[in-house]
Amino acid sequence: MVRFTRTGTILAYIFLTIYALIIIVPFTMMVMNSFKSMRELFLKPFSLPSTFKFDNFSKAWNFANIGVGYRNSLIVAGITVIIVVFLASMFAYMVSKYDFSFRRGVFLYTMLGLALPARLAVIPIFILLRNMNLTNSLTGLVLVYSSMNLPFSIFILKNFMDAVPNELCEAARIDGASVGYIYYKLILPLTKPALSIVAIVTFVNVWNDFFFPLILINDRSKATITLAVSMFFGEYSIQWSLLFAGLTLSIAPTVILFLVFSRFFIAGMTQGAIK
Amino acid sequence: MKTRHVLIFVLPALVLYSLFVVYPLFDSLMLSFYSWKGVGPKIFVGLKNFKEMLFGSFSKEVFNAFFHNIYFFIVTATLELGLGFLIAFLLASKLRGAKLFRTVVYMPNMIPLVIVGFMWNLFLNPQIGLVNNFLKLIGLKSLARPWLGDPSTALLSIIMVNVWRHLGFYVLVILAAILNIPPDLIEAAYIDGASNRKIASKIVFPLVLPTFRTLLILLFIGSFNVFDMVYAMTGVQAGPFRKTDVLGTVFYRTAFGGLGSAFTDMGLGAAVTVFIFTIVMPLSILYVFLVERRERAW
Repeated sequence: MVRFTRTGTILAYIFLTIYALIIIVPFTMMVMNSFKSMRELFLKPFSLPSTFKFDNFSKAWNFANIGVGYRNSLIVAGITVIIVVFLASMFAYMVSKYDFSFRRGVFLYTMLGLALPARLAVIPIFILLRNMNLTNSLTGLVLVYSSMNLPFSIFILKNFMDAVPNELCEAARIDGASVGYIYYKLILPLTKPALSIVAIVTFVNVWNDFFFPLILINDRSKATITLAVSMFFGEYSIQWSLLFAGLTLSIAPTVILFLVFSRFFIAGMTQGAIK
Repeated sequence: MKTRHVLIFVLPALVLYSLFVVYPLFDSLMLSFYSWKGVGPKIFVGLKNFKEMLFGSFSKEVFNAFFHNIYFFIVTATLELGLGFLIAFLLASKLRGAKLFRTVVYMPNMIPLVIVGFMWNLFLNPQIGLVNNFLKLIGLKSLARPWLGDPSTALLSIIMVNVWRHLGFYVLVILAAILNIPPDLIEAAYIDGASNRKIASKIVFPLVLPTFRTLLILLFIGSFNVFDMVYAMTGVQAGPFRKTDVLGTVFYRTAFGGLGSAFTDMGLGAAVTVFIFTIVMPLSILYVFLVERRERAW
């Protein structure tokens, strides 16, 4: 543990407080200004709202299609997480616990994906989905996101499964357990911490993405939350209090969820990125 | 072990990954040798797209953006690793409230980049933006300016917002590395009378260097992936006068956003992605190599 003298501690606190304010103040300003009228927003940008205009929120909710955006993002991120968790863990289980031809080759082939930025392949992805009639559809997004998130998830899960003693699987096999049974009843429960890392990282990645919806979706009713906000900004660019209200609504669930489960999120996201 | 089992467990992931990640990347490479408007016939043009991109009139746009990516990398890496190390070092002590602080610094990372961009787009507005109003409030009116409209500050503003969004992540990763150092090492140094500056520079810093290396690679790859933030703050045209243009926006305009761009062609767009790919690939492979080596040591 690092130790500080008394002056050192005070300086550290001052420095850290300033940094914390730089993060918190913009969020507070955004929320406060979303309650104001346009006039008040111009005249008194820093004061508390004199009257709380809640209809800014209901207008922003409707104009920006926030509800639809939430629903679509939730569907896409949720289904992607389920697919990634299952496919990646099945793959990692085979590579970690069984010997078969091309085992190492197949693993390294998927690890290549850690290094390939999938965005660079967006033109062929767009054409591929167009040929499958899956542009402008949530299914298309789910397919792309699932594939993109596999390499990282396989990597994390394989590491974790390597740490599960082989004798355990061997014992189960001798008792007559099938390959599938061992996977479902032994491996999955034992790798729960890694599965939750994979689920969190995948969910946040998908929820926060803007690039693929921008290119693959052009229908309002199919927009994810990021795309919905972006369309809203294009159309209501001068109605500032509405814009602030829209932004507040678009991030509120994530921020609340994060504040409640912060330790869980932080552990998952930081371990996931560096391991 | 039956082959059937291997196939059932391995194939679904393998097929999906091959179809939507590997095949499209190869197809991008193929496409870069063609001229194609997205519909109709593809015309094979050989190396024409690359010539146009590297030496033709399009090259001005590409290299302008390329240098912005490099600049982006240098500034973000310096700030994020420098400030990240400093803040992590402070948090590695027994300060009260350090846990709460971690939550606060990580929060911006949870918000979509594009939404962070829109948020700051409003804050940086010249007339009613909060940044200029704040500067007026504290008597620094002379510093107020149209941050995103002024060619000399636009890119730097975007970079600063980007640092605002990501810094918490770097702080926490570096902090984890610092907390991994055996406490005895630091304890012994204190007993020998070492100052905090000495401890930071001679013990902590060398021991977190491997983490820095990994983060540096991630920062480099990230700097060539920039798109959302520019899109939200200065638009697809990357104004003023392309002063905030990056390879990501060049690619988007070339392949998808015809309006206002002199060059629109899927093949040319694919050539841009090949260009980005060639820059990023060596470091990506190095990253995988480092990560793999750590895994084997594990």
